Amino acid sequence: MKKTKAEILIVGGGPSGLALAAELKKKYSSNIILLERESIAGGIPRHTFHPGYGIRDLHKFMSGPKYANYYVNLAKKLGVEILTSTTAFDWVGANTLATTSPNGLLEISADKIILATGARERARNSRLIPGSRPEGLFTTGSLQQTTYLNHQYVGSKAVIIGSEHVSYSALMTLHHAGVKTVAMVESNHKTQSFGALVLPTKIRYGYKFFTNSKLVRIEGKGRVSSVVIERNQELISIPCDTVVFTGNWIPDNELARRGNLEIDLETKSPMVNSNFETSQKNIYAIGNLLMPIKSADQCVLETRKIDL
Amino acid sequence: MLNSTENYFDFVVIGAGVVGCAIAREITKYSNSVALIDRLDDVGADTSKANTAILHTGFDMKPGTLESRLVREGYELLYQYAKDNQISVEETGAILVAWNETELAELDNILENAKANNYLQARKITSSEIYEFEPNLNPGALGGLLIPNEYIIDPWSVSISFASQAIKAGLKLFLNTKVLEINRDENTFNIKAENRTFATKFIINAAGLYSDKIDDLLGFDELEITPRRGELIVFDKLARKKFNHIILPVPTKMGKGVLISPTIFGNVMLGPTAVDVKDKEDKRTTQEGLETLLNKGNLLSSSLIEEEVTSTYAGLRAASNQSDYFIKYRKENSSITVGGIRSTGLTSSLAIGKYVVDLLKQSNLLTNEINNMVNFPMPVLGEAFNRAYKDEAKISQNPSYGEIICHCERVTKQELIDALNSTIPPQSLSGLSRRTRVCLGRCQGFYCLSEVRKLIAENSKEVIS
Ligand SMILES: Cc1cc2nc3c(=O)[nH]c(=O)nc-3n(C[C@H](O)[C@H](O)[C@H](O)COP(=O)(O)OP(=O)(O)OC[C@H]3O[C@@H](n4cnc5c(N)ncnc54)[C@H](O)[C@@H]3O)c2cc1C
Ligand SMILES: Cc1cc2nc3c(=O)[nH]c(=O)nc-3n(C[C@H](O)[C@H](O)[C@H](O)COP(=O)(O)OP(=O)(O)OC[C@H]3O[C@@H](n4cnc5c(N)ncnc54)[C@H](O)[C@@H]3O)c2cc1C
Repeated sequence: MKKTKAEILIVGGGPSGLALAAELKKKYSSNIILLERESIAGGIPRHTFHPGYGIRDLHKFMSGPKYANYYVNLAKKLGVEILTSTTAFDWVGANTLATTSPNGLLEISADKIILATGARERARNSRLIPGSRPEGLFTTGSLQQTTYLNHQYVGSKAVIIGSEHVSYSALMTLHHAGVKTVAMVESNHKTQSFGALVLPTKIRYGYKFFTNSKLVRIEGKGRVSSVVIERNQELISIPCDTVVFTGNWIPDNELARRGNLEIDLETKSPMVNSNFETSQKNIYAIGNLLMPIKSADQCVLETRKIDL
Repeated sequence: MLNSTENYFDFVVIGAGVVGCAIAREITKYSNSVALIDRLDDVGADTSKANTAILHTGFDMKPGTLESRLVREGYELLYQYAKDNQISVEETGAILVAWNETELAELDNILENAKANNYLQARKITSSEIYEFEPNLNPGALGGLLIPNEYIIDPWSVSISFASQAIKAGLKLFLNTKVLEINRDENTFNIKAENRTFATKFIINAAGLYSDKIDDLLGFDELEITPRRGELIVFDKLARKKFNHIILPVPTKMGKGVLISPTIFGNVMLGPTAVDVKDKEDKRTTQEGLETLLNKGNLLSSSLIEEEVTSTYAGLRAASNQSDYFIKYRKENSSITVGGIRSTGLTSSLAIGKYVVDLLKQSNLLTNEINNMVNFPMPVLGEAFNRAYKDEAKISQNPSYGEIICHCERVTKQELIDALNSTIPPQSLSGLSRRTRVCLGRCQGFYCLSEVRKLIAENSKEVIS
């Protein structure tokens, strides 16, 4: 395996990793390598086409792709070496990661390694939802890629599971994809996002909001035909051909776990001190890898607090 | 029309599960006029896709049964076959754990039973040995057995490899072809199937859950299949390093019980349940089933239950009204029914194939081997092996083997392209998954589903949904 060295190695080219790389480059002008496993850096905002990004960090109201581009360009301009299509897949030493890419295998050692691998939404199976296994199940993440990046068919009638901020992002995406949302299902007694969002979106998109309701089953052969929810011990069947599982986040903690970093059992994020250093010296964690889930601008502002 | 040479085959095998594929492959060694037909859009897409994927030694089989014999033989055959065709097998071994005095007392009987099956390598182990092997089991294990030769295998590549290899040697495969009616005049069967008819002088019924229905069509009503559902939970890859062996309970009259097993793809599986159901298509998971498993799992290893769940699924065993495998050669009817291959058919498949061919040879319906199958190396899917993404030589030959598309399962672009252009091209996303592992990981498509769909559209002649 080929080998190389850097002063700072950042894993993950979402807003957190990119913003930190840019910030560090300004401060120390050291040799920084940033790894991104996708062919384009930018992280989740790359496929979140609606506006909602940049408010607190850039004092602008912009779409995800514009926001992602801003940080990719900033990091590049400052001279951060960004390796795309490059996955860090395991540790080969306390400060060395094994990576793979179309250029082959490469071991990268660094004085300091920062994990910025983000978080994803739990999908149907991880939530242990019983029933059949039809087509038509999404997370907001896969829904947005389907809709915005690749313009593929989604469905016609959707039920959204969850009512976090991201659930409203799913609502807008479904609308954009020409899918009618018929219901939003929340297990708590009220929305987990801004209360003010409920009424206007209900009026605009015409869906039913079920609170205190639990999804108990998915039905359908081949394609989803309905979901069954339970409210006050009553079973309600909602016909639909699309189900979007939103929120219920899990940090992408694979490298953190493989490196035997101490993990918070509740959130499954690596434990960090006030300077974002993990239980392993010189290994740091930032962004949405650290729960609770944050918006992108919050992640970016947080990275400014790190002192390396 | 019915007897046109195009539709005629010397042998027709109904059902392309692992058993039907093995039989068809074995017959193809002797005959160049064999058809294998299945109602589904892929081989191995019914019960054969949803099992616990253990290569069974047969230590716990009932001695003297055909099942016991074919499992023992099939074990050796499949182990060698897997080696020759690059199908991943991990030699984990199994530990059978006794959690109370009654179970502890049962161990001697199980050892005796293993010996009666001519399996001699099992031995007793103490409680402290158990925890040396498996520190993440809950406290309370009193003792157990080590069965060093129970292994885990890649279950999907097996059917695909059998069928692909045989196709190269002349087998004709018909998918999406459900058999609806069988008639016989003189010595010829006329088979009416969806979209097609066949004529043949010999039928092998390997229709799994529907082997009783096909038996009916052949004019018999001895066999009755009662599906027994098994639900399973697959835990995240990060659980894998917590377990080294397959961990078995002491079997009861009700069956083998719920086990914890590493999977060849680097996960840990918990299950299966065993519940009789009526509908042969009812492969749903249920609230009760999943709860039973979680409770059971929590008694065995609370450390396992802390891990994230990657997948849940259910498979239907073809249990029957027979006490053994039902392999019935009806000479006067020119047919063999292979049914009730309940919970060991992956392991025994090649032995069943040989057994069927021996019956045919005894009747001089097959004589000399005409073609030697050429080995058919499968893509490496086992997590413990040299997968494409970390295969330096492969990537330098073709950089697309270093371009990961599915991050959870680390499936590369070129592997997907290869599978889409393989001998039996997948016709659905799940078919592609069984050939590559794509989209079977923890994110369930959060990151790559859309990208994979795009690749499918670019690379397949027919449109896959
Ligand atoms: C549907 C949706 C809508 C949203 N809407 C908004 C909004 O309107 N406004 C807002 O502010 N926030 C929004 N968010 C939240 C925002 O996207 C996140 O806060 C932000 O992306 C977090 O940045 P991050 O860098 O921590 O993680 P991510 O953006 O997830 O980036 C992590 C990166 O690491 C890479 N990576 C992971 N593992 C490896 C590895 N082993 N090797 C190499 N690379 C790796 C990944 O490919 C990814 O690019 C939304 C989120 C979602 C899902
Ligand atoms: C939960 C579970 C766990 C198991 N664990 C193990 C294990 O660890 N090790 C092991 O060795 N075995 C195991 N087994 C058993 C093993 O999976 C089966 O014995 C084996 O898959 C049976 O293969 P088959 O070819 O007989 O049946 P199937 O795979 O069901 O194939 C039968 C085929 O016939 C086709 N068919 C049916 N009707 C028609 C028709 N009218 N026309 C055309 N085609 C038709 C079907 O579509 C199907 O593809 C397990 C089974 C289950 C359910």
